[in-house]
Amino acid sequence: MIDEALIQEVTADLYSAALRRVPDDTKRALAAARDRETSENARATLDLMLRSTALAEKKDTFVCSDNGFPIYSVEIGGRAHWSGDLKAAITRGFNQLVGTISPPLLKHVANPLTNERGGPGKDMPAINVDLIGDADYIDITCIPKALGSGRFASIKTFIAPSLADIEAYVMDVIIDAGSQHCPPVIVGVGIGGNFDMTAKLASRATYREIGSINPEPLLAAMEERLTEAANATGFGPMGTGGETTALAVHIDYAFGHGYTPVAVCFNCWINRRAKARIYNDGRVERIF
Amino acid sequence: MAMHHLTLPPTRESVADIRVGDIVYLTGDIVVTGGLPAHKRIVEYLDAGKELPIEMGGVFIHLPHMVEEKPDGSWTIHYVNPTTSTRFNNFLPRFIRDLDLHILGGKGGVGEEAVEAMRENGCIYVSILGGGSPIMSECIKEVRQVEWREFPAHFRLSRLRVENLGPLTVGVDAHGGSIYDALNEQARDRLPEILAQLDRRRAEAAGA
Repeated sequence: MIDEALIQEVTADLYSAALRRVPDDTKRALAAARDRETSENARATLDLMLRSTALAEKKDTFVCSDNGFPIYSVEIGGRAHWSGDLKAAITRGFNQLVGTISPPLLKHVANPLTNERGGPGKDMPAINVDLIGDADYIDITCIPKALGSGRFASIKTFIAPSLADIEAYVMDVIIDAGSQHCPPVIVGVGIGGNFDMTAKLASRATYREIGSINPEPLLAAMEERLTEAANATGFGPMGTGGETTALAVHIDYAFGHGYTPVAVCFNCWINRRAKARIYNDGRVERIF
Repeated sequence: MAMHHLTLPPTRESVADIRVGDIVYLTGDIVVTGGLPAHKRIVEYLDAGKELPIEMGGVFIHLPHMVEEKPDGSWTIHYVNPTTSTRFNNFLPRFIRDLDLHILGGKGGVGEEAVEAMRENGCIYVSILGGGSPIMSECIKEVRQVEWREFPAHFRLSRLRVENLGPLTVGVDAHGGSIYDALNEQARDRLPEILAQLDRRRAEAAGA
């Protein structure tokens, strides 16, 4: 049985870890990009990024000052057993960490009606819940979403679009974001479902491991060509020029109706996300 | 790509030879803020003809900063990191002219009107690595002044002493050159060929 105290502890740990550590898949992708780059400035910027990740680990400090919009994505296994109030445990774990973490956090959480900052506030942290089949665990992923990359997400609803229509739209969103979202980014694309499902698919797609192959062959090919296309734009690392604007494009889809929403979102180069799996017997496994 | 070590305060002349794509390091005092409230308040001061409570010294950087005052009046410097300057595009042309800026900084670049104001005033824009907080924070040596403390820490207007803050990439120079405008134009020029290549790759995948 998974209890509230464990959920609370894991929740707090995940946020702290996400702020301090660039995930391994992302470090590998940055290093590979540095080795591929032909522009001297772009190589130097990627090098600086790798130095920053190493120094953050060594000093046990934050990679970025923007601790982001806190999102917890919770996937509950069909055979998971827990006691107590899951939402309260997550909220308590988050608030406890915010109050005690060192170094202290800047207060980014804002009231959208008044633009006043300071949090905690309504629906903070954001908790997205999904159900997963045949599993005796709960997965929790923490994603602190910074303003720099969160700001450029976009959604558009088409009527029976072709793949060419969808890809052209993805490129428009990438070019509109241009130099501003701390590239090289991970691009998440959601296709189909309805309005909120599409956005969720896009967002979830950014969590996937860089280098993993999409199980849908159609999408695997689409990811490959869109990654090449994003990198052909030339915005480069930190948007100051180069051949690495995207570390990956990840796509997911759901069956829908004749109207097809398409969502595009970004994770900046530090690609903050931390995930843990909590089993019914209390074991905790860090996935990334 | 040339490298420049600039001692602050800068002048029109000291930034004149710097070009887009160059690397700079800054040593001296910089004035920083990370937020909209500080920008709005600067406008109120300018409108009222009031002197700002801080000496700008020609340098204004979009740099959220977490510093805390200790009981003895000294400061703990926790961390700094840039924010996206395009958020403040509407403010910048006036700031560049009225605050006599020669170095503007942050990340992500500035709009065309700011580039023109920078050309007129002899000002460069330096791009700081977003997510480079551990590196850039080590370059902050002293908190000299913190104003508007009723704002959250990152929205205050502060003067910090830095040593070799960098490496910073010059995104806009004082001659109208902007890496951001150039890259945007380049990407839009390339788009038809990028889409044609996507068509070819899609056809290959369908035929495979």
